[in-house]
Amino acid sequence: MPSEIITLQLGQCGNQIGFEFWKRLCLEHGISPSGVLEDFATDGMDRKDVFFYQADDDHYIPRAVLLDLEPRVINTIMTSAYSKLYNPENVYLSKHGGGAGNNWASGYGQGDKLQEEIFDIIDREADGSDSLEGFVLCHSIAGGTGSGMGSFLMERLADRYPKKLIQTYSVFPNQDEISDVVVQPYNSMLTLRRLTTAADSVVVLDNTALNRIACDRLHIQNPTFTQINTLVSTIMSVSTTTLRYPSYMNNNLIGLTAPLIPTPQLHFLMTGYTPLTSDSNLSNNAVNVRKTTVLDVMRRLLQPKNMMVSTGPDKSNHHCYISILNIIQGEVDPTQVHKSLQRIRERKLAQFIPWGPTSIQVALSRSSPYVQSSHRVSGLMLANHTSICSLFERTLSQYDKLRKRGAFLDQFRREDIFKDDLNELDESREIVDGLVQEYEAATRMNYLEFSANKRDPKVDGDARSEEPKSMNSVGF
Amino acid sequence: MERIGLEIKGFVAKLQEGAQPQDSQKSLDQIVKLAVKYIAQWPNKIRLQEGEEVCLQLITNKLKSNWKWEDRNNAVAVFHELYSIASSEITDQRQRDLLSNLILFSLETDAQYCPWNDVEVPVSHPVQHAKFSIGRSSSSTNSSSKLIGNSSSQNGNRMVGPMDAYSYDSPQTSLGLDNESTSDHRTELNTESDVDGVFDLNKYPMQIVGPTTGRSYDSSQTNVGLGNYPIPSYTVELSRQKNFDNVHDVVQNAIYSFVGVQGKYLKKDVITGRFKLDPINKVSLTEPQCGMLMRLSQLGYYHDCVAKFSNISTGYNAMGSMGQAFMSKLKLELSEFHGKVALLQDQLNEHRHLMLYYYKGDQRSSMNSQPKKLTLNKLLIWYMEPMYRMEWLTRIANACLMKKGGELASVLYDFLEIGNPLVDTLASDLLTACCGPLVRMISKWMLEGGIDDGYGEFFVESLADVGVDRLWHDKFRLRLHMLPKFITRELADKILKTGKSINFLREVCKMEGAVKGRKELKDVIDNHVSSIFSYVPDTQWHAVIETCYSQTSKNVLDIMVGPHKLLDHLQGMRRYLLLGQGDFVGIFIENIKDELEKVGTDIYSHDLSAMLDAALRCTNAQYDDADILNHLDVVVKTPYSGDCGWDVISLQYTVRGPLATMLEPAMPTYKSLFKPLWRIKHMEFVLSTKIWKLQMANAKALRSLSGEISKITYRLNLFTSEIMHFVHQMQYYVLFEVIECNWVELQKRMQQATALDDILDAHSDFLHAISVGCFVNTSTNMESYLEVVYENIILLDNWQSNFYQICFNELAARQLMAEAIADSEQTGRYGLTTEQKMERDEELKIFEQRLVASYRALEIIAASYGKAVGDFLLALNSSNDPNLQLFGTRLDFNEYYKKRDTNLSKPLTFEHWRMSNVFGTSRSLSGVRHSIYPQATNQISALVPGQISSCD
Repeated sequence: MPSEIITLQLGQCGNQIGFEFWKRLCLEHGISPSGVLEDFATDGMDRKDVFFYQADDDHYIPRAVLLDLEPRVINTIMTSAYSKLYNPENVYLSKHGGGAGNNWASGYGQGDKLQEEIFDIIDREADGSDSLEGFVLCHSIAGGTGSGMGSFLMERLADRYPKKLIQTYSVFPNQDEISDVVVQPYNSMLTLRRLTTAADSVVVLDNTALNRIACDRLHIQNPTFTQINTLVSTIMSVSTTTLRYPSYMNNNLIGLTAPLIPTPQLHFLMTGYTPLTSDSNLSNNAVNVRKTTVLDVMRRLLQPKNMMVSTGPDKSNHHCYISILNIIQGEVDPTQVHKSLQRIRERKLAQFIPWGPTSIQVALSRSSPYVQSSHRVSGLMLANHTSICSLFERTLSQYDKLRKRGAFLDQFRREDIFKDDLNELDESREIVDGLVQEYEAATRMNYLEFSANKRDPKVDGDARSEEPKSMNSVGF
Repeated sequence: MERIGLEIKGFVAKLQEGAQPQDSQKSLDQIVKLAVKYIAQWPNKIRLQEGEEVCLQLITNKLKSNWKWEDRNNAVAVFHELYSIASSEITDQRQRDLLSNLILFSLETDAQYCPWNDVEVPVSHPVQHAKFSIGRSSSSTNSSSKLIGNSSSQNGNRMVGPMDAYSYDSPQTSLGLDNESTSDHRTELNTESDVDGVFDLNKYPMQIVGPTTGRSYDSSQTNVGLGNYPIPSYTVELSRQKNFDNVHDVVQNAIYSFVGVQGKYLKKDVITGRFKLDPINKVSLTEPQCGMLMRLSQLGYYHDCVAKFSNISTGYNAMGSMGQAFMSKLKLELSEFHGKVALLQDQLNEHRHLMLYYYKGDQRSSMNSQPKKLTLNKLLIWYMEPMYRMEWLTRIANACLMKKGGELASVLYDFLEIGNPLVDTLASDLLTACCGPLVRMISKWMLEGGIDDGYGEFFVESLADVGVDRLWHDKFRLRLHMLPKFITRELADKILKTGKSINFLREVCKMEGAVKGRKELKDVIDNHVSSIFSYVPDTQWHAVIETCYSQTSKNVLDIMVGPHKLLDHLQGMRRYLLLGQGDFVGIFIENIKDELEKVGTDIYSHDLSAMLDAALRCTNAQYDDADILNHLDVVVKTPYSGDCGWDVISLQYTVRGPLATMLEPAMPTYKSLFKPLWRIKHMEFVLSTKIWKLQMANAKALRSLSGEISKITYRLNLFTSEIMHFVHQMQYYVLFEVIECNWVELQKRMQQATALDDILDAHSDFLHAISVGCFVNTSTNMESYLEVVYENIILLDNWQSNFYQICFNELAARQLMAEAIADSEQTGRYGLTTEQKMERDEELKIFEQRLVASYRALEIIAASYGKAVGDFLLALNSSNDPNLQLFGTRLDFNEYYKKRDTNLSKPLTFEHWRMSNVFGTSRSLSGVRHSIYPQATNQISALVPGQISSCD
């Protein structure tokens, strides 16, 4: 079957956003919570089998694998109306149910231990697809299960399915509030390393920005997880809309991501969405029902306030777009698109990289006929922007603060991976730092020469991991 | 009458009895007076024996010889004086004749009593003069009697002449006489109608008519004669008599000439056919008569012309059935004219007849209803209208010479705009007659789809050698030169389409799509002939044509859109042939990717059809109508050497039945469009699933080698992203801006379509726009630049697999080395032998050299690619098509190329624009580029050594 995508939901956050995502997909495809195709949706022109498989004539089951080390979220899902949606065999709960205790190393370690059972499920799912295109991983980078076990899974998946894409929807922690997870910088750093090395594309969902958007744009004082997750599920569903409602282009994941990612490391994507409304203010805010043109949408998508990543002020104003993909839904006159692009170019609304040709790609997508939208036109932007490195820089600085003091490292040392030393942490920092360097380099004309500069630390890093053995061996 | 007659008798008797000169003089006086009175009352009572002159002579003779008057000469002179006084009041020649005859008659009755023989004629100057005049008069009598005979025999002819012209139109004569020469014809008719002629002669033996036109001439003569001589009256009378014949002839001649018959005075010029005056007989005519005759004879000339144009045997005709209609209309005009001339002749005849009766002296009552005498002047007035008509008929017929069908109608139509109401109605009548056949052809064509056009004059023509399969597009077409001016191109198209639709329904769809109310429509079309050329096309006729058109069009449209699913098929072709169904194409390529890589000769289409079906089944194509999917097929072209699967495999959309008739002409366009689209898909496939995906995967796998290869991989990555940007933009442009935007346009037009041709036109416009947008068959070099771009992508793909091969070999060797070391550690030998190390170092060196070589190869590809893209962009920027210019800016959205290539940053000034146009696009542009591009390549090559040295 065509370009199937297997979704892996990991940990509390991953399962929550995954749950919202599936809810949304069911709504859009006219599939009831129990997985049965609704009567009104039988003659749809959508492509359900990318994310679902058909159990029988009108019974659809998500290609989803639910993994968690603690039962709370999964239990919630399994007691909800959607409990019958999932294939129960694909729901995996760790037997001891203790969770990872927000410890990356614990999650990673448990992943290692449970990998056989987990990969049984994944392999079975992969075998069940004709031409598996890739995996989508939903997780957060700050917790234990999603980050730790996610990291482990990513590495294994890259080994096991080297030809399959690994895309992640990674939730970055809210930087504005003090997290109750004290080791969050460590977790983030360690996960970021895997995201850099093992994943093919990462859609960054920044809790900071999501909260800010919820407060500022949607006027919700204390946004709940569900409200935030609705935003996330919107992004996830819209970013996959071209796969589910095929048209000319961008009909598979690779076609969607390949033009966005020029070099293997620069694969962290920001998202932006407009118009932003929540259900609560939809009903009492009639102002939003107005004529929205393609140009309006595209212009607003370029505004930082609609971005789902909070990048912090760009003081030197040197950051730029590596690539942009706008997915526009709704009643769009195709001839308008070109004009809008022309306008954006004239006004220089977006700054682009100097070292290669790039532009705003536009994908016009149909939207689900079953979901009523209050907007004529809505748009999602997937962008590769160099300023995303500020997010990593923040993580780095927070990490450095902790690491300098050597705080909270005890619980890490307890796990296998840190038994001997804390090299893993340092290497991760190295790699993330390299990533930041690369993003910085990508803002400059001579990005091509970055490879030459970059080589030395990298070689050193490699040498450090490889050389001891060989040196020793030679030395002996 | 009786009384007067008796009185005359009495006077005559007195004359005989008394024989007193005074008395006899008085008696004579009385007789003359009475005679005048008598004649005035009963002009037809007396039978005319001789002309006036002859009578007078006889009377003079009698007077001189019969009575033994003392002064005979005096008596004669007195008689003459009296007679001239009496006759001077009588203007009518016939009355004068009658008078003289009456006098003679009354004298002669008693001739036997008179002892005339002993009368001595005095020899005197007047008598000599009289003798001379007698001699002259006798000769003139002879000649005049001869002339009468001649003219009466001619009269017989002439009387028949017009008749033959009338009967000419009647079928039996026209059939028999068409090919005979006019002279033969005339003689034949002459013999035929001899009876009539004889009858005429018997009835009116003295049919002589003289107009009064010559009177002034006569009177002056008389005056001169009377003033000078005692007997000049003879001369006057004689010349009068002669003149009287002239005048009579002249009018008759003029009437003859009206119908083109030569007469005594008017002869035809052999060369021009115009009438001219007979050089011999013209002497007897006065100057004004000549002028008038010449003027009147013009009508005859035009009559001849019209007769010539209306006679098919002359060859000076309009042609075809519309020409026939035109000619018969001309003939009708002619016969109408002949009718008028006949009336004229009749008037002439009747007048003579009346005069005759008058002379006889009976039927006095009819004196009052005497018809007007015909004169040349009257004829001049009469001839104006027919003359004008004939002249215009000639002019029109001349313009229509050798014309047929629509041309003929167009020529006639031009005459509608002359402005003269008479000409307007004339031309309109002619045009109406002419359009009769045309309108019938139109009605037959529009209602039954048949063409009945033996002369090739209908403006729709059917090509006999074109089969049913091309019925819609090629079988019928407009014969533009046969299109009458008054039928607009639009209307003609509608008429063409209507008939074509009927044919199509019958021949291809096998259904009888009779138009509703066909009979009524036919009646309206056939019976409103003149509406066809009305100035404003809003007549009932036009409305009916419109109705026919819209009904039939709708019929066809409904059938094609309904049962034959035209729109669905168009949609299907867009989806599959123009690769609009992205997911299907993706899966199809994925399914057959192994086949696509094969050599062309190893590919079999039956393998492919199974894969096609699989692809159809598992994509959204499955929701499409099975009817449409059945038309989709995969074909393998005959491979040429070196062709791979990509080159020979193509999708085909087979259309059958009525659809084939509609869409067959579009199929080659689809085929030629499929190629570049398929090529882009190929490129996209190579780029994303092969090049990019490998890069992503291998970046992870080859991380340990990144030190050595990162420079190349970065170059590779950036190069790939550059190409990817290009191909995606290209694809976006083609699929979206070209196809989708035009498809929207097409759909709009399809919804508005009222006829099938609207859809087909829109469709062909759609295909044309796409062809232009996809650079298919354009005169520019863009296609070739694109091909270079694509070739470089394939080269890159090959290069990349080589490159990764090298890398993986090295990686494997290193791993082997590491394993060997690990083994040696385990076995306790620890370390490597020097050879092994040397070998390894050697291998490493070779690896690095290979990398350098690879890098160079990559740069070559990149340079070649860069040049092609630069050329392409320049071609886009210098294109006249704003869409292409915009596409150029789209490709270079962040002005990356512009910064590299100074040519691109040149504003599109007039100078630049002219440069690119004046010296043939390709040469000048490539020349410019060659001068520019070395810099770019220099830059790259400047980069290369540096990089290489750093590598080393």
